[in-house]
Amino acid sequence: MARKTQREAAYAEQYANCCVVIPARNEEDSIASVIQQIQATCTIDLVVVDDNSSDETKSIARNAGATVLSLPVNLGAWGATQTGLRYAQSKGYHFVVTMDADGQHEAEHIEALLEPIFTGTCDVSIGTCVTRGSLLRKIAWFAMKRVSGLSLEDITSGFRVYNQNAIAVLTTREATLLEYQDVGVLTLLHSYGIRFAEIEVNMQKRQNGPSRIFCSWLAVAYYMCHTAILGMSKRQYGKKGRKKAENITPLNYQDF
Amino acid sequence: MTYWISAVGGLLTAVLIIYLIRRDHLHTRYALWWIPVALIIAILGLFPQITDWIAPSIGVHYGPVIPLLTGLIALTLKILIMDIERSRNETKLNRIVQKLAILEQALQQLTENSAHKPK
Repeated sequence: MARKTQREAAYAEQYANCCVVIPARNEEDSIASVIQQIQATCTIDLVVVDDNSSDETKSIARNAGATVLSLPVNLGAWGATQTGLRYAQSKGYHFVVTMDADGQHEAEHIEALLEPIFTGTCDVSIGTCVTRGSLLRKIAWFAMKRVSGLSLEDITSGFRVYNQNAIAVLTTREATLLEYQDVGVLTLLHSYGIRFAEIEVNMQKRQNGPSRIFCSWLAVAYYMCHTAILGMSKRQYGKKGRKKAENITPLNYQDF
Repeated sequence: MTYWISAVGGLLTAVLIIYLIRRDHLHTRYALWWIPVALIIAILGLFPQITDWIAPSIGVHYGPVIPLLTGLIALTLKILIMDIERSRNETKLNRIVQKLAILEQALQQLTENSAHKPK
């Protein structure tokens, strides 16, 4: 316990450079409890990106104490996450934790995910829960890994921590055209030589209806075709020609 | 007679394009593509023997296939270019929407701060 407090004190300064980004669309049932759980676990700035919700997500999140960025047009989960990353970059945060708004991710694992980032052993840490997948999801993961050449366990997990190098890559225009935060984002990061770490975490069931990606066979078919094309075209062959995250010139505040 | 239809069609397309530019319905940039296309249609309509003259030199036995094939290739290319531009515009639009959300939050913060400031 004493060691933990010592560690927390050492990390207190680092926590001030962190924020949690939560993309949310019509999550009024779960957003308040997600925010409260995070607030009960650690002192960290919270940013909810409201993806043009038609319910009360925005006001509930604001009342719960989060900074709310409100998108006037639906941009999808990745578009909302990128908005949060761009906001964090403009505010000078060094580390960004991304979590889902449906209550799947447990706030108590944030510290475990931040640790390898703080110690500098990786640039992106991913909260992994391979046991959660249905048969459909497992088939999708297997296919995506084969196509993209990525060797990560849980490709679709949205519970991640990014450091400044990863944020620099993910706030570029190149990353804006991506639709999902899995294969496209990971291969883009991989092409810049970003280092990954996977941390085993528990995940809860969604509080608010089915997953938007795996909601129907048609949606899965679209997702799989989309990911297959993206994975094949963005796959990295060998180490030659790797780009460097440090060489990215941050966009000016006036730029869009 | 068929030749005249295609010639008149080509010339009418050229006139329509110039009209659209005059009325600000079409960007001049796009006219750079469409006016030559319209002129080629008109020229081939007026002088159909051009295709008969080109056909043997490129190994085509049936001359009229050339304008059809060229048209198909040109349209495919044009649609591909349009999709590239659409992707670029989508990126711009998404980033503007993101920027708008960030600026709106900054503005709200500023308004709240100035409301709490002692006068």
